[in-house]
Amino acid sequence: MTVMSWTKTAPEARPERGGRRGGAGALWRATPLTHLTLAVGLALSVFPIYWMIIVATRTNDVVGDVPPPVTPGSNLDENVVRLFGTESAHFAKGLLNSAIASGAVTVSTVFFCSLAGFAFAKLRFRGRNALLVVIIATMMIPVQMGIIPLYMMMVELGWNGHLQAVVVPFLVTGFGVFMMRQYAAQAVPDELIDAARVDGCSTFRIYLSVVVPALRPAAAVLGLFTFMQTWNEFMWPLAVLNPDNPTVQLSINQLASAYHNDYTLMFTGTAIATVPLLVVFVLFGRQIIGGIMEGAVKA
Amino acid sequence: MRVRARPADTAGVADSDTRAGVAGRAPADAPQRHKSTYAGSEAPATRRTSTYGARAREWLDRADVKFSPYAYIAPFFLLFTVFGLFPLGYTFWVSLHDWELVGGREFSGLDNYRLILTDASFWNAVVNTMGIFVIATVPQLLVALLLANALNRRMRGSTVYRMGVLVPLITSTVAVAIVFTQLYGRDFGMVNWLLGLVGVDPVDWPAHKWSSWIAISTMVDWRWTGYNALIYLAAMQAIPVDLYEAAAIDGASRWRQFWQLTVPMLRPTIIFTVIISTIGGLQLFVEPLLFGSGTYYGGSLGQFQTVTLYMFENAFRRNDYGYGATIAWMLFLLIVLVSVLNFMIIRRISSTK
Amino acid sequence: MTFTLRRRQFAGVAAVLAATLVTSTACSGDGNDNASGNNSNTGGTIELTVDTFGNFGYNALFKQYEAAHSNIKIKPRNVVRLDDYTPRLQQWLAAGSGAGDVVALEEGILVQFKNQSDKFTNLLDHGAASMQGNFLDWKWELGKAKDGKLIGLGTDIGPLGMCYRTDLFEKAGLPTDRDEVSKLWSDWNAFIDTGKKFAAANTGAKFIDGANAQFNTVLIQEAGKSLGYTYFDKDDKLVFDSNPAIRTAFDTVVRMMQEGLSANLASFTPEWAAGFKQGSFAALACPSWMLGIIEDNAGADGKGLWDVAAVPGGGGYWGGSWLAVPSQSKHQAEAADLVKFLTSPESQLAAYEAANTFPSTTKFYKDAAITEHKDDYFNEAPVGKIFGEGAEQVKPVYLGEKNQNVRQEVENVLLAIGQGSLSPDQAWQRAIDAAKSAAR
Repeated sequence: MTVMSWTKTAPEARPERGGRRGGAGALWRATPLTHLTLAVGLALSVFPIYWMIIVATRTNDVVGDVPPPVTPGSNLDENVVRLFGTESAHFAKGLLNSAIASGAVTVSTVFFCSLAGFAFAKLRFRGRNALLVVIIATMMIPVQMGIIPLYMMMVELGWNGHLQAVVVPFLVTGFGVFMMRQYAAQAVPDELIDAARVDGCSTFRIYLSVVVPALRPAAAVLGLFTFMQTWNEFMWPLAVLNPDNPTVQLSINQLASAYHNDYTLMFTGTAIATVPLLVVFVLFGRQIIGGIMEGAVKA
Repeated sequence: MRVRARPADTAGVADSDTRAGVAGRAPADAPQRHKSTYAGSEAPATRRTSTYGARAREWLDRADVKFSPYAYIAPFFLLFTVFGLFPLGYTFWVSLHDWELVGGREFSGLDNYRLILTDASFWNAVVNTMGIFVIATVPQLLVALLLANALNRRMRGSTVYRMGVLVPLITSTVAVAIVFTQLYGRDFGMVNWLLGLVGVDPVDWPAHKWSSWIAISTMVDWRWTGYNALIYLAAMQAIPVDLYEAAAIDGASRWRQFWQLTVPMLRPTIIFTVIISTIGGLQLFVEPLLFGSGTYYGGSLGQFQTVTLYMFENAFRRNDYGYGATIAWMLFLLIVLVSVLNFMIIRRISSTK
Repeated sequence: MTFTLRRRQFAGVAAVLAATLVTSTACSGDGNDNASGNNSNTGGTIELTVDTFGNFGYNALFKQYEAAHSNIKIKPRNVVRLDDYTPRLQQWLAAGSGAGDVVALEEGILVQFKNQSDKFTNLLDHGAASMQGNFLDWKWELGKAKDGKLIGLGTDIGPLGMCYRTDLFEKAGLPTDRDEVSKLWSDWNAFIDTGKKFAAANTGAKFIDGANAQFNTVLIQEAGKSLGYTYFDKDDKLVFDSNPAIRTAFDTVVRMMQEGLSANLASFTPEWAAGFKQGSFAALACPSWMLGIIEDNAGADGKGLWDVAAVPGGGGYWGGSWLAVPSQSKHQAEAADLVKFLTSPESQLAAYEAANTFPSTTKFYKDAAITEHKDDYFNEAPVGKIFGEGAEQVKPVYLGEKNQNVRQEVENVLLAIGQGSLSPDQAWQRAIDAAKSAAR
């Protein structure tokens, strides 16, 4: 099993300036070909989203138009009104539910995983290594394995159709614990902990005062990822929630499978559902990129 | 005794209070030393005179040190046991039954497993899943390598490019699948229109295996290529510059350097991405679902029905939870098998280069 | 840097965590409580949840009922597709909670739920017996389970028609007046011939939308004329390969595809819906409940372009539902009352006018309210007359417990033929196999 290692440097991707940052990137300058390749890549990456927004701003007739329109239209507000007025989609409720679920799961994951990560990294207790192995093993198990019984459990508890079903099973993740553990092992100095002990602090105080600040960058990355992942989660909400109490992804799905089909409506919904994440991405993109790259495997 | 702490490397400990002391204890108490269980702590152990309060405090401290780790990992393990481990075992238990949510259950032993081995629809789903996985993963990782190589240069605006290639990852899978499905529409899709410009007849994308596999693979590729590129980029940046300089001195072209130096050194990373892609690719669900207009059939003849779709069809449409659980277990075995194979293949390839 | 106390931080974290957890559970609760969990604890108001699919046309009726019963509040829950509705209802019934106080049961899923009669209230216990005379006989009888319990009171039936695009017909040189059009196709062979004429005119559109509507129509007609059942006989045994009605329907539709008449769109998919606006096809078999769907899909621009003619091959019906009260409801008496109201002749007439759901109560069949009813979207077609004729002569057809599953398989196979992936003979064999596994 490969190990993810975290360096102590702040996980921010600094744009290359003068090639000071690592590796052979320092050696080579970007050629026009490079820029062309990357521009093509960028265009392909962005086009579907762009198309989505275009259709959202236009009326439905243009979907079949040939050649297709590539400039934004002016119908966005009317489409948005129609979207929120489409009862069968429950879009507003979907947005609200997604916000609550993502928020709750993110806060809980970051808190509990940092606690557990700290414990695994810095505290000694019996069974520590064995339990760590268990956690790593669980990361490899696909989601589908548990869906059916989990669903049955939800039915037993009476949670199916309610938001708890989408929140409670995900309050902690093995991935989060592992990530926090790796980071804590390197970023939290032992000396500080010892000093705190000497000072007479309880473990929780140590956690609050020493560990939390040290873990902040990793916690931020974990929080961002968790938020994005929960917001985009589809399979489990599809199984367990009802169409009249959806998350935003279910809501768009309902738009896409209604009897009367309106592409502009669908795309308006998908556009709005994507906006919060785009905002998060624009604000925290550097941290996200840094998080991905810092977590990449080292030889 | 106060200790001056070294500032942590990262965001510092921003202090607002400067009170020494311990939560819940009277501030008037002088700080106590107690035996630390940590190696490297050389604080001399002094004891106060044993008042009742002090002994209790000592006991509390020891309890805190000894038991708090368990308290900290408890939430995780509690939740995990209930919602993670238990369902796993339960899935196996369910698969041993003829279990309908409404009709009740009947123990059937390994019947479901015997049935699944001869179930043409299941193996069709396996073939679909593997096919889509291969078509999606191989080009995707190659392109990611090339992209990473391109990004691994001095240039301005590299952040823009990096964020740009990552944007697909943050969009919701549902939204993307809907957009792509419309792009691949038979009558009014943009892809067919583009094909028409170069004189190719419109393709009924969902109708055939090859076309639906390509369509779904493009959705997956679009989403993950940027992510994998960044991972490769990070690994590339860890390769020491001198190796390249040495290679250049030896007269190796940029291309050769790439294939014979960069890629082999990237081997662990490549293995990592292949395995992650495998695990994700074999579980493909959202894209084929929306490509089929929200049905679990994966096309009129199941031409793009993945294993997960088949599981959903059996469990949530046909109400056959026992069989659905069986499919889940077979999927798990499949993932393990393919991951191991991948691991071995990559190792072979990389080492012979 | 000194070592510090972080009581404030601790409190902050705990508060946020608690707040989010509480909010998630609380917010999920409001407005979504299943009806059986909802108690009349707000000053005596009873909230009844009504689960429907598609469009029953009940909105005005709900308001009317609430106005007449000040202590009742109705909460409608709707899922558009039947195929999404059925599994949910099934799960709620199995779980013992979550179902509405009133649930709609479509004819295709009726048997499946009637076989769980213990999960439903016997409406006879709530005075439904007096309503028997209102209904078509078979509609009343079908509402009864094997043990004699009256599970459901009938809502609508789906008399058959054939909807067509007048402008496309005109382009193809075919008559556009609906009586003349009806004369064009007294049976399905004539229909196919008309289609060939249409195709030869090269209007750019196909004649029919796809296989599903036509197949289901022919199947129900053939079954009604002969054995009285489709995929399953009255003992719920799969008779897919032996029932000639199925083979006839299958062959008819295959012929349509082979003559190139079909646009090969699967019903209720985005492309099918887009096809209405884009003029991809000129005709499709439309039971009366389909009219509302056509209107939604074709939009305002389509007004006046569509018309309704008689269906080839004579009478028959496709679709139609019943309303039932699950026994898990906490307000069975009130729910039963609501059901009786919604299925009364007056309400059925009102629903008809709202959503084109043809009544199953016979009271107004000869009444001008139906016979003179015109639909202005469909070119002022006298839909009351078109669909009403023969409504009383319709013979019911038995649909088995796993009817939906088999139907979906057959529709998939037909789509595959249209896509060119299967030859008709292969397709027939495959349909048989798929039906067998679907009926498992």
